[in-house]
Amino acid sequence: MGLALGIATDALAYGMVLYIISIGLSVTMGLMRVINLAHGAFAMIGGYLASWGLQSLGLGYGTAILFAVAGAVLIALPLERFLYRRVYGTHDPLPQVLLTIGITFAIIGIANSLFGPTLKPIPLPEIFRGPVDLGFRTVPAHRLVVIAAGAAVALGLWLLVERTDFGIRLRAAVDDARMASALGIRTDVIYAAAFALSVALGALGGVLGAEILPIEPYYALRYMVTFLVVVSVGGAGSIGGALGAALLLGLVDVTAKYLAPEYGEFFFYLAVIAVVAAFPRGLLGRA
Amino acid sequence: MELLRVEALTLAFGGLRVAREISLALASGDRLALIGPNGAGKTTFVNLVTGQLAPDAGRIVLAGEDVTRMAVAARVRRGLVRTFQISRLFRDMSVRDNVLLAILQREGRTARAIRHAATDRTLVAEADAHLERLGLGEVAGDRVGAIAYGQQRLVEIAIAVALRPKVLLLDEPAAGVSRAEQPRIVAALAALPPDIAVLMIEHDMDLVLRLARRVVVLAAGALVFDGSPEAVVSDPGVRAAYLGSYGT
Repeated sequence: MGLALGIATDALAYGMVLYIISIGLSVTMGLMRVINLAHGAFAMIGGYLASWGLQSLGLGYGTAILFAVAGAVLIALPLERFLYRRVYGTHDPLPQVLLTIGITFAIIGIANSLFGPTLKPIPLPEIFRGPVDLGFRTVPAHRLVVIAAGAAVALGLWLLVERTDFGIRLRAAVDDARMASALGIRTDVIYAAAFALSVALGALGGVLGAEILPIEPYYALRYMVTFLVVVSVGGAGSIGGALGAALLLGLVDVTAKYLAPEYGEFFFYLAVIAVVAAFPRGLLGRA
Repeated sequence: MELLRVEALTLAFGGLRVAREISLALASGDRLALIGPNGAGKTTFVNLVTGQLAPDAGRIVLAGEDVTRMAVAARVRRGLVRTFQISRLFRDMSVRDNVLLAILQREGRTARAIRHAATDRTLVAEADAHLERLGLGEVAGDRVGAIAYGQQRLVEIAIAVALRPKVLLLDEPAAGVSRAEQPRIVAALAALPPDIAVLMIEHDMDLVLRLARRVVVLAAGALVFDGSPEAVVSDPGVRAAYLGSYGT
């Protein structure tokens, strides 16, 4: 029982980290139709900035998160304006893949040269470090924070997309950019805003998840496939799908690593293959 | 009052000249049909005027303002509105939301981005009024993808009207609509606001004769006729353009 609850808490926390990062990727892939292999690099930039802010600039944890998210967005926006905008919706995915893998390697190189090859700690504030007693069990406070943040992101995104005028414009621009501009919608502005949102979520996930996915220069490549897998299992562009996929894969991965660690990632990818075989467009993919 | 003036609009794709110095003026209240054989450059002309394509030469003046180099969305905000040959509605949204979006754009309410148009009673009432007028009240809450094609074409007209255009360019508004549904489209087009200028690409001469008071004919990217619907049928230049297209 204790083991099951331990697995459940860890799985939920891991799933939420995957969700917060991957939903950003899902926005660029599903909505703007760009295979953004550099998404992990933006998450990593968030992690580096938070670590730098906490350790060298003396920022508090909350301020460091804001600093990391805003910094990652500021770094990413010129890339959107001058590079990504050229490959939105291209029929051939190769330019997107080459461009974004190039950006990834450039960011890895810059991170390595500025911060060195070692792991960058993101020390948690005192209140997140200790255990929290839930009555039937104690769990690390940080896990609960991550779970709550994931739930808040899911709810906030759903409200933004389904319940605001920005959301209705975004859905229109995604559905048919030509028709949207025929209504007078500035699709370039909408796309830049959605891209900024995507990077912000990646960076937030990079900071909050650093306990589970530690920040180091090869972070950008190491977890790239994991994030892509969550998006394809969930269905690109689907908020609910990405949540379902992240939680399911988080559960499978954590359970397998508790019970059969010698199999490594085997069960994770087995689950991926099973879901994609049953739902080729992902759990909640658009037709 | 002149609302749209196109001066010597020219475009070539490589060696293929798809628009050859087309000049045209539309005034308030005009109902103009643009006809021509397949491949004559009718849709290209609309794409040039609305800004989907950039001309090699020529000028587009909307209500006295040169819009030749302006982006599509900026022209729309100034009252240059179009519909598409094949229905391009937002299929996953409701009929009402499609019209609401147009109203939202017209009002330019970007400053109030963090709120929801569907909760604004004035906007919803206006959207519903547009839909009622075209007999679409019953399907207002339905997903666009789920309603009949003829109804979808009517929704496009509702959207175009909701944008309050000065100049409206309709690319085959009745294409793909069954004979039985056609009268509703004709009625909707006949009931467009009288003061706007309307240019309509249409193949169906029956429809042209009923709705247009002036006809222009394009052939191989050039304007070969500009006159009354009655005169177009007997014009030798027009006949040559159509027969010529069949001869090649």
